[in-house]
Amino acid sequence: MSAIDDLVTELAKLPGIGRKTAQRLTFYLLKQPVESAVRLAEAIRTVRERVTSCGVCGTLTDEDPCTICRDPRRDASVLCVVEEASDVTAIERAGRFRGRYHVLGGRLSPLEGIGPEALGFDRLLARVANGGTACVGEVIIATNPSMEGEVTATYLQQLLKPTGVRVTRIARGIPVGGDLEYADGVTIAQALLARRDMTESDKTEAG
Amino acid sequence: MSLVTTPALVLQTYRYSETSKVVRLATRDLGVQSAIAKGALRPKSRFGAGLELLSEGMAQLYFRETRELHTLGAFDLVNLRRDLAADVGRFAGATALTEVMLKMAPPAPLPAAYDTLTSALDALERVPPGEIDAAAVRALWCLLAVLGFEPSLARCARDGAAIEPAADEPVPFSVADGGALCPRCGPTSAQPPSRLPLRAYADLVALNDPRAELPPLDASHAAAHRRLVARFVRYHLGEAGPLSALDFWERRAWVPPTPTPIPSAAS
Repeated sequence: MSAIDDLVTELAKLPGIGRKTAQRLTFYLLKQPVESAVRLAEAIRTVRERVTSCGVCGTLTDEDPCTICRDPRRDASVLCVVEEASDVTAIERAGRFRGRYHVLGGRLSPLEGIGPEALGFDRLLARVANGGTACVGEVIIATNPSMEGEVTATYLQQLLKPTGVRVTRIARGIPVGGDLEYADGVTIAQALLARRDMTESDKTEAG
Repeated sequence: MSLVTTPALVLQTYRYSETSKVVRLATRDLGVQSAIAKGALRPKSRFGAGLELLSEGMAQLYFRETRELHTLGAFDLVNLRRDLAADVGRFAGATALTEVMLKMAPPAPLPAAYDTLTSALDALERVPPGEIDAAAVRALWCLLAVLGFEPSLARCARDGAAIEPAADEPVPFSVADGGALCPRCGPTSAQPPSRLPLRAYADLVALNDPRAELPPLDASHAAAHRRLVARFVRYHLGEAGPLSALDFWERRAWVPPTPTPIPSAAS
């Protein structure tokens, strides 16, 4: 097998990339200066060597603990539980959450053989129960609003109940900039169920 | 290629590309089918929130008999079954049913199996908390029955003799033979059969009869009935690979283990 075939085969293993796209990428790389391809190869090697799971929150990081867990300005009393490390990035992008995270690494999915033991809930429980000086006062469950995400949230709520910690769930409903006319019935129903009183602070937040 | 509109229930979904999903559907008119839902992951997808595990709706499939993967044109949601997610026990029972349907139902019209599955999910959503286990066990037995694996309970699974349970004599039940055995056949079974006390046998009969009242099952009897139906499924689905949802439901994996041993009534 030639070097070109090797690279095409490897690229075609990536999600969303078929053999044709892999071929296009390979020939694109061959047309680029050598340094460009070397930089890409080096970046891939480095990311695999350096990036690891944060020993505290479980997110992907190249320093353990991660920058969020080390940041003294982050509110350690609020813990946001997410399914994947990519969800941390999404929430951080919003720039509104100042607490800390806990990454489960998945969600309960009996059909895929993912049970509580695979998700390390005991690690979360230990974080909540043994918070030490940084006592956790609230756990925000930010699992996806899918069926499995909802079940995971239900399970977490039951698991955390004996600790006495406040457990909240992220809201569901109409996306900002969305159009009611095009929203599906389930989303509209959820938005109506999760409606809330309008207060002055809402106006401030919106502005 | 023909456009088929059929009631359908989502059994499983996989992310396919950045924007599409592959869904495994239990359809009323075409049996279990796979279809690609193009654009289902886009924020303004025409499928909306419909393509979720266990949701039920009217599917429009571009169907070609020679293909294994069809194209889902639309899915008009009828029931999202969100209440099942509010209780892990209900959800576990529902996914065990889903798994049996996925592994045992053929890609051919099987309206009875579809109707049994949807009715069972409705029942699991509605039953009081104390009856969840019994409802799930009944649902599994009923689904097995319409899929052609009905256990023989009134007659001996081997020689057809009537089963006449006596108060002091347990009823042998063989998963390999597919049901209860008469006193003559019981001892000759290749695999030692389970020995059901009269109450466990009566409960099993009631659990297999959708018109009967759900029998009250305490924790130990519920565990025994879960084990029995799970063993039955595993035996008859031996070659279908691991049954992780059935296993999750059978051992109540969401409940922290208790040190007390579970007595066996039907194992």
